[in-house]
Amino acid sequence: MADIHLEATINGRKIFRSAKPHQRLLDFIRDDLNLTGNKEGCGAGECGTCSVFVDGVLMKSCLLPVAKAQGAQIDTIESLAKTGELSVLQKAFHKAGASQCGYCIPGMVMAATAALRINPFADREEIKERLGGNICRCTGYQKIFDAVELARDVQNGRLPASALLETDTGEGDVIGKNVRRIDAPSKVSGRLKYAGDMTMPGMLHVQVLRSPHAHARLVSIDTSAALAMEGVEGVITSADVPGEDGFGVFVNDQPIMARGKVRYVGEAVAAVAAEDVLTAKRALAAIKVVYEQLAPVFDPDEAMRVGSPVVHDYAPDNVTKHIPIRVGDVEKGFAQSDLVVEETYSTQAIEHAYLEPEAGLAYVDHDGVVVIVSPDQNITHHRHMLARIIAKPISKVRFIMSPVGGGFGGKEDMIYQGMLALLAMKTQRPVRLVFTREESIISTAKRHPSRTLLRMGLMRDGRIRALEMKMICDGGAYGMSTEGVMRKAAILAAGPYVIPNVKVDTYGIYTNNTPSGAFRSFGALQTAFATESHLDICAERLGLDPFEIRRINAMRDGATTHTKAKLGSVSLMRALDAAEKASGWEAGSPTSRGATRSDLNRGDSRPACALGARFAAPGTQEAAE
Amino acid sequence: MLICDEYLTPGTLAEAFAAMEQNRGRYRIVAGCTDTLPWAREGRAGDVEIPMLIDVSRIPELRELRVDESRVRLGAATPIQRFLDDAALARALPSMPRCAVWFADDQIRALATIGGNIVNASPAADATPCLIAHEAEVELAKNTGGKVVRRRMKLDAFITGPGRTQLAEGELLVAVDCDALPGYGGSFEKVGHRRSLVISLVCLAVLVKLDSQGRQFEDVRLAIAGIGPKPVRLTEVEKFLCSGPLSAERLEAAADMPVSLVASRTRQEYRREVVRGFMLRGLLNAVRRAGADRQALSGELEVAYG
Ligand SMILES: Cc1cc2nc3c(=O)[nH]c(=O)nc-3n(C[C@H](O)[C@H](O)[C@H](O)COP(=O)(O)OP(=O)(O)OC[C@H]3O[C@@H](n4cnc5c(N)ncnc54)[C@H](O)[C@@H]3O)c2cc1C
Ligand code: FES
Ligand code: FES
Repeated sequence: MADIHLEATINGRKIFRSAKPHQRLLDFIRDDLNLTGNKEGCGAGECGTCSVFVDGVLMKSCLLPVAKAQGAQIDTIESLAKTGELSVLQKAFHKAGASQCGYCIPGMVMAATAALRINPFADREEIKERLGGNICRCTGYQKIFDAVELARDVQNGRLPASALLETDTGEGDVIGKNVRRIDAPSKVSGRLKYAGDMTMPGMLHVQVLRSPHAHARLVSIDTSAALAMEGVEGVITSADVPGEDGFGVFVNDQPIMARGKVRYVGEAVAAVAAEDVLTAKRALAAIKVVYEQLAPVFDPDEAMRVGSPVVHDYAPDNVTKHIPIRVGDVEKGFAQSDLVVEETYSTQAIEHAYLEPEAGLAYVDHDGVVVIVSPDQNITHHRHMLARIIAKPISKVRFIMSPVGGGFGGKEDMIYQGMLALLAMKTQRPVRLVFTREESIISTAKRHPSRTLLRMGLMRDGRIRALEMKMICDGGAYGMSTEGVMRKAAILAAGPYVIPNVKVDTYGIYTNNTPSGAFRSFGALQTAFATESHLDICAERLGLDPFEIRRINAMRDGATTHTKAKLGSVSLMRALDAAEKASGWEAGSPTSRGATRSDLNRGDSRPACALGARFAAPGTQEAAE
Repeated sequence: MLICDEYLTPGTLAEAFAAMEQNRGRYRIVAGCTDTLPWAREGRAGDVEIPMLIDVSRIPELRELRVDESRVRLGAATPIQRFLDDAALARALPSMPRCAVWFADDQIRALATIGGNIVNASPAADATPCLIAHEAEVELAKNTGGKVVRRRMKLDAFITGPGRTQLAEGELLVAVDCDALPGYGGSFEKVGHRRSLVISLVCLAVLVKLDSQGRQFEDVRLAIAGIGPKPVRLTEVEKFLCSGPLSAERLEAAADMPVSLVASRTRQEYRREVVRGFMLRGLLNAVRRAGADRQALSGELEVAYG
């Protein structure tokens, strides 16, 4: 391999270094120079967490072979606050609250810096356009754009520098006031270390072999060739688990690595720890796995049928969880109703797409404590499970939660921490695993896809007499949070409405799809989508205004839900009033409206998405046209 | 992951050809790398081991830009961002800045080259329809027996299908020559899922020249991509537009014409609907920029598609 002798200026300092020809600039600055402020969110040019200046031009360093940096001047996020003092833009991000998990923020700050350098007077549209290559999954873009506008105005003297300072909230006066985020400086500067940014002396790099099959028996796994490779320090399979294997949120149905059979494409089968990522990857290719294909099942309805392939022996009917709720007598309710409406609703799997792909670091400390550092949303539960799995007393297992670069529920499952623990124990060296974006998508939980059959019986005046719902969710290959999601879905199925007769059944079903798990709103989305869509359809059939049908049925203070929860206060009526007002709602049933609606295309409604704000700026082509 | 043992950055065409000669069968050409690096990832080509990458983006001849009254010469390694930064280029290629602003994002445009866009030959490549509307010709070069042999051909003949071109083994794309069309009104329309970083479902380049009153078409160039395996010129529509005065009715009739051409593999119905709206918006924007007489167009059309 012909190393590259790189001469460049990095953050104002000259460097002479050798680099590997396959390294990208991003690898070089993060791994070799330990400048970890810029992140790798996707590695494919899509997210902008890796944005750096190359000779003053902003570029995505994941798309730059390091050789392209030859002779160049590179500035990373670390160049902006070199003396410790934040730049005006960084201060503005802090002030505007433009950071949540913070993972996208270094890249955002870089893109904003570039935008204001190119046009110090850029308006909001142009700012949006110039930040178009950067994605944020949690802050939402408004605060980010607010921050850039604030910085622009301070830089141009339109606002005093004091506009960047803290506006104190009065004592004990927190709710309804802006509170400064104390963690923002570490995020806007790139100083905060996420798990993938952490290193330890002697650290090994982990890669995971994943199943290409949805359902197959593991006949044999031969790791000997991989283990014999130079630079490979450890290879593990489920045979290396010393204790009682199995983890989960409600049922411990998932092994650390596939045991006996694989149940979905992307399931971990073996893992390697090696001196570098490339060696670990090559070792994966040397592991020989013999699979015997089994008939897979991908559709939950089919999985419920007798004779369908069984995913887990303990659940021969493939039912992970069934939650039934019965109130009153729905059949009687339907008989009393003037109108019965039946529809089917479906929702799809959704990926959380947090900007930080999963990553973790593990080591065995001086006291023999197995330590796992990762962005883990449930460390206490995981610590207990792992102690059992690796057969150690709880005092010898420690979980440290690193900053979570976005989770949204997707980091609640212990899907890789067990492998890290085993490899740290096996090699007695620190080990680190950083998922690629693709790996994160293929192997981690998704939002439950659902199919809902909903029947509702109503009186002519809009009162709901009965609701019957059967929701079938694809839980995928492992239980994870399915049980909780089914419970929550059932609890929220009838919405905030008074309904005397209710019959709800929610089913979480095992299939050979990617497991479903926790995701923001946890089951509420699926049932609320069905119930609320249904109410609109019923309103149309009854000639009622959609707001009206909800008011007619709304729970009031002191109501009791269909699961017997007593509600002290119910704010639904206020919420409906506020939504009606804010939307400029045109009253009436959907069928009574004319061809044109007065509440659409109002002056304050959002214009269609367009590009080209920069052409309108003075001195550019458009102005000259 | 793209794994190579050597990464070469030749400083001249001769050096590049020498390296290609010596490493026959074990190298790959790269320029901006914005197609190549994402290609070598899981789900696409996966980990790829190539002994040598030859980066042609620093060869001066491939970076050359020449603009005169009738022709424009674009070195193959011209980054897309140049169409936004270089006023002379923007004047000579009026739809290019509109295309560039929708192309990836500001950062990727600084790397992505025109040559890479052409040779990659994605049916969704954005620059290609604009260039085809400019009657672009590619200049190819190859080292044969120590002599550099060049050949030229029309861009639409060079691209033969999705991911396929007439580029021969050992050959490099050196430059693209195309018509300079100053004074034309240009527009570019693109449909994708979001504003930036979006691959076109359909895209359309429009170039229009009107008479001095702004009432009659003197020349129209239309090229569309994403509706079939390769971008196409809409010559029938061009002829129809030139056959009479500019009017809202003529634009509407023209917009209906290419709908039947949609032959993409997926989402045909959607693409058909898109094409009509697209044609109208593209034509409207282009004729306005070409100085159309306002009275020739209906206000209604402008409200709906402007
Ligand atoms: C996030 C993202 C967004 C994108 N958005 C868009 C978009 O909106 N519109 C669009 O059209 N494209 C888009 N692309 C694709 C890509 O950026 C373009 O196709 C770009 O023009 C490719 O040029 P390059 O120089 O980077 O190609 P490279 O990856 O360097 O090369 C691509 C191919 O061309 C060959 N090649 C390059 N130069 C030569 C030459 N001179 N002679 C012979 N062969 C050559 C290479 O061997 C390779 O096969 C996007 C890519 C990414 C990652
Ligand atoms: S754009 Fe480079 S890591 Fe996402
Ligand atoms: S703050 Fe932007 S991704 Fe989390």
